[in-house]
Amino acid sequence: MATTLDPQKKPKDQPLTTSSITVAQESFSKRFGKTFLQGGTVVAFVLLVIFFFSMRPDVFLSFTNVRNILYQVSILAIIACAQTLVMVVGDFDLSVGAISSLAGSVTGALMIAEMPMWPAIMVGLLVGLGIGVFNGLMIAYLNLSAFVATLATMTSVVGLAFLVTEGTTLFQFPEAFNELGQGRLFEIPMPVYFAVIISLIIWLTLKYTTLGRAWHAVGGNQEVSRLSGVNVRRARFLAFALAGLISAIGGILLAARLGSASAIQGEDNMMFSVAAVFLGMTILKSGMANLAGTMIGVGIIGVMSNGFNILGVNSYVQQVVTGLIIILAVTLSSLKNRER
Amino acid sequence: MRNKFKMLVAIAATAALALTGCAAGDSGGGSNEPFKVVAFTSGNQTPIGAWWVKAVTAKAEELGWDLTMVQGDFDFQKMNPAVESAIGQGTDAVFDGYTDVASIGSIVTAASDAGVPIFAMDSATEATDAFVVNVIPDQQLIVDETAGAIEQNLGTLEGKNIMVIGHDPHAGIRERSGLAVETFTAAGANVVGGEPQQIISPATGRDEALKLVADYLAANPGGLDAVWTGWDDAAMGAVKAITEAGSSAVVTGVDAISESIAEIQAGGPFIATVEQPWPAILDTVIGYMVTYSESGDLPSSNFETVGVTLVTAENAADITPSDKL
Repeated sequence: MATTLDPQKKPKDQPLTTSSITVAQESFSKRFGKTFLQGGTVVAFVLLVIFFFSMRPDVFLSFTNVRNILYQVSILAIIACAQTLVMVVGDFDLSVGAISSLAGSVTGALMIAEMPMWPAIMVGLLVGLGIGVFNGLMIAYLNLSAFVATLATMTSVVGLAFLVTEGTTLFQFPEAFNELGQGRLFEIPMPVYFAVIISLIIWLTLKYTTLGRAWHAVGGNQEVSRLSGVNVRRARFLAFALAGLISAIGGILLAARLGSASAIQGEDNMMFSVAAVFLGMTILKSGMANLAGTMIGVGIIGVMSNGFNILGVNSYVQQVVTGLIIILAVTLSSLKNRER
Repeated sequence: MRNKFKMLVAIAATAALALTGCAAGDSGGGSNEPFKVVAFTSGNQTPIGAWWVKAVTAKAEELGWDLTMVQGDFDFQKMNPAVESAIGQGTDAVFDGYTDVASIGSIVTAASDAGVPIFAMDSATEATDAFVVNVIPDQQLIVDETAGAIEQNLGTLEGKNIMVIGHDPHAGIRERSGLAVETFTAAGANVVGGEPQQIISPATGRDEALKLVADYLAANPGGLDAVWTGWDDAAMGAVKAITEAGSSAVVTGVDAISESIAEIQAGGPFIATVEQPWPAILDTVIGYMVTYSESGDLPSSNFETVGVTLVTAENAADITPSDKL
């Protein structure tokens, strides 16, 4: 038999029973607010799609335009995967954009020097991995602040990229290399496939492997993780090392996409990757970085950019609005954390 | 005792400052000391800026000048104080390469206070008292040549849909993209958006231009006849978008970098770029500085424009790319 507690009565006046207790339900507005906080980013994404579709129904959701959006965000999606890994363990990596530029530049420079394509790509990947390892050592083992360490790395890596490219833009890469970034399979651009595969691998790792659980644990509470037997240093180190490798993949694909490599062509991917991860953090109850949320964040950035371009909105206005939406998402995330 | 010591230090410091002030602001005019020059550019990370640094250094060595070169990396917070400090330590002349006068107000003040003339190249798009001379390529001619190339290719500009891509923070690109909009509008073309489409950052200009053009073509299939860009890197992005969309639009740029010349020679959408005669401009400004160093005479005009060369498939093979100077 269900017994209802009267909130007006003092506890000692309440009927004593061990049967089920019914608590008065929250108001509709409170539930709506919680749901909105919970799914604010997804709601924002859907609203943006609806808005742009209503403005240009003949174009926005056409196959060509959707393909454009996927094409345009595929590199960012890969870089955002790298950033997600690092933010899952509770850190930042400001060097992901610079690493991607350097990896693309190194690969391009080696191909121009007539190194075969695949060895050149391997060297580019190793460069990215090497920088990631360096970041990981500084942060995980020397206990440097991730912000400061990766800021310093970013500065040095940009300088290295300028040295590699001699301040110019490298081009005239082999056709086979350009195909990686410009080719299509069943009318879908190749970078989209790479982005999907990398995202899936990262998602599976985060969700189903011991390493992924260790990363989540470290991101939740380092001290508790350490006391629970998680090798915190190794977990953080691996996150940064892999972030470097994944950033390098993004940079090499960007060079293939554009058919050229310069020292700073991946520059804004760092900022947008952080924005995408923050946007995605609002999706989970825990407010933690998560890959699915990051992809929603990437989608929001891509949809906004494409939608505003289609509507002919000035680039400067686009930048203002993009920043405001990111602020809104971070605010939602912070409100949700307080709600917990 | 302590007060006497403090007084001695103050006197010594004052004397040192006075001597420094005497050394600064020496005018040209045949002194036996090497001609001291402070040269600076904010654009050393661009191919042209990198070339300018090397070329000016080489010229200074050849002429026996005492050169202080300051490279700004587009960081005015870092560059301006460094140049002001160099001026304060004593110089005969200042040479500004590719750095917009709007960003160097403190340097102009420092030079003026020290009585030192500033010679410049491509540092403003109109005459300014900040410089004793500023030599730049003729921006109107750049627009006339490239718009003419588009008109020749399309047969007419009347009724054609043309996107103009610019980057307002760069004075030269701002000037010529504005002139381009006026030129196309006057010829009866429809300029997309009625104004230059802005690239936020030169670093990602190619990617941004690619997205701008790709999105426009997705929304307006077959609705673009040409893209006029203020510089070649953005033009390369436009070319990629046009090629991927299978559009027949044509593209022009400015700068004549090796990649754009190769693209023009390949016979695709990229039909023309403009060679700006940087070596000749440098020689002109250096010539003025040599005259000043020998006789103290300054140029009669503080603003000069020079002609440019349109680069098309016909003459591309004869052009030295600007990133290979």
